[in-house]
Amino acid sequence: MKIEGTHELHASRERVFAALVDPEVLCRCIPGCESLEKTDENTYAALLKAGVGAIKGSFKGNVRLEDMRVPEHYRIVVDGKGGPGFVKGSGDFDLEEKNGGTLIKYAGEMQVGGVIAGVGQRMIEAAAKMMAARFFAALEIEAKGNQ
Amino acid sequence: MIPAQFDYVRATTLDEALSLLAQNEEAKILAGGHSLIPAMKLRLATPPMLIDIGRIQDLAYIREEDGQIRIGAMTTHYQIESSGLLKKICPLLPECASHIGDVQVRNKGTIGGSLAHSDPAGDWPAAIIALNAELVAASRNGERTIKADDFFVDLLTTALGPGEILREIRVNKQNGRTGQAYVKMHHPASGFAVVGVAAKLALDGDGVCQSASIGITGVSSKVYRAAAVESALTGKKPDEQAIVGAVVHATDAVDLNGDLFASADYRRHLAEVYTRRAIASALARA
Repeated sequence: MKIEGTHELHASRERVFAALVDPEVLCRCIPGCESLEKTDENTYAALLKAGVGAIKGSFKGNVRLEDMRVPEHYRIVVDGKGGPGFVKGSGDFDLEEKNGGTLIKYAGEMQVGGVIAGVGQRMIEAAAKMMAARFFAALEIEAKGNQ
Repeated sequence: MIPAQFDYVRATTLDEALSLLAQNEEAKILAGGHSLIPAMKLRLATPPMLIDIGRIQDLAYIREEDGQIRIGAMTTHYQIESSGLLKKICPLLPECASHIGDVQVRNKGTIGGSLAHSDPAGDWPAAIIALNAELVAASRNGERTIKADDFFVDLLTTALGPGEILREIRVNKQNGRTGQAYVKMHHPASGFAVVGVAAKLALDGDGVCQSASIGITGVSSKVYRAAAVESALTGKKPDEQAIVGAVVHATDAVDLNGDLFASADYRRHLAEVYTRRAIASALARA
């Protein structure tokens, strides 16, 4: 499944980039993130309790940030598994300056497997979009708070 | 197919259920159980407690009151499908019920449970939007009424707050020359709506469309009102040309979802076709 979109934030590109690679900020923004601990340079172990409505599950996984070009680009590689299934994916973040704010372009490819993919396939795309919307709403608050 | 461990409490009154819910934030309300229990058996949902409201007296009813049709949240799909009163005064509801799942689901599943779960491909939300229904939510602080347009917030997410239970669905009785219809493309395996469209048209004596109300399910993260189709029809005589011109707006400003069965583009096409059919069918009955 492909996930892509854009999101505009009212904060400078440097601030947005710093927020997007700060594990503490990321953990506050990723819906259901319980912990995000550094295990190596640009590599983190994540614990997520994510869900939508009645459907909830715990996931454990790794997050790696690659191809960093401050403050315009990086690539995020994620793999995780939990009770409901597994998730694997990677995505590119590109940050552009726009109207004094920042335009984030994201494009990624995600694979979801296990029970959640078997019975919840028809909802995965909608769930991913909802998570992305929640993430950016939280990121917006973070970026504003830091100004 | 065995759920994780959970506590089970059977409430005997609505007040008791509301108190239990207020004390147990993570608890889930068990209505007919035809969405929640399968999710629990797959361990996609692992609530620590279920509060069963199935035995509470007087949550399952269909009656007329104050010019409205009032339906208790625990009324089963089958009770609505087979209601003589509804067939006469609000045929969209029995027609919609007849499309849900299979006989077993319709015998146990409830309108309140389905609405509170708010499956993006559920049938009821489309009818509830088309009928401009009101939903009554009870909590320990009393009751509030939520308009259908405000009730469906996002994927599996409604305007019901923590501590609230959906108690009743209210639909204003229709006056004058109106026609209603629900049409649906069933997913061949699950029976859910790949696309489902509920339409209600009101015509004047000359056959001019006075108002149109259209709810579409299965296409996006949640049900939505096809507002552009409604305004394209209103004030016009809904002939073939007007209908074809209106339904091209069926997915205007909607973020469509695709899955393995039907891509977003295919759903867009289906939405137009089924909206046309729903309007034509409602018109024929007006």
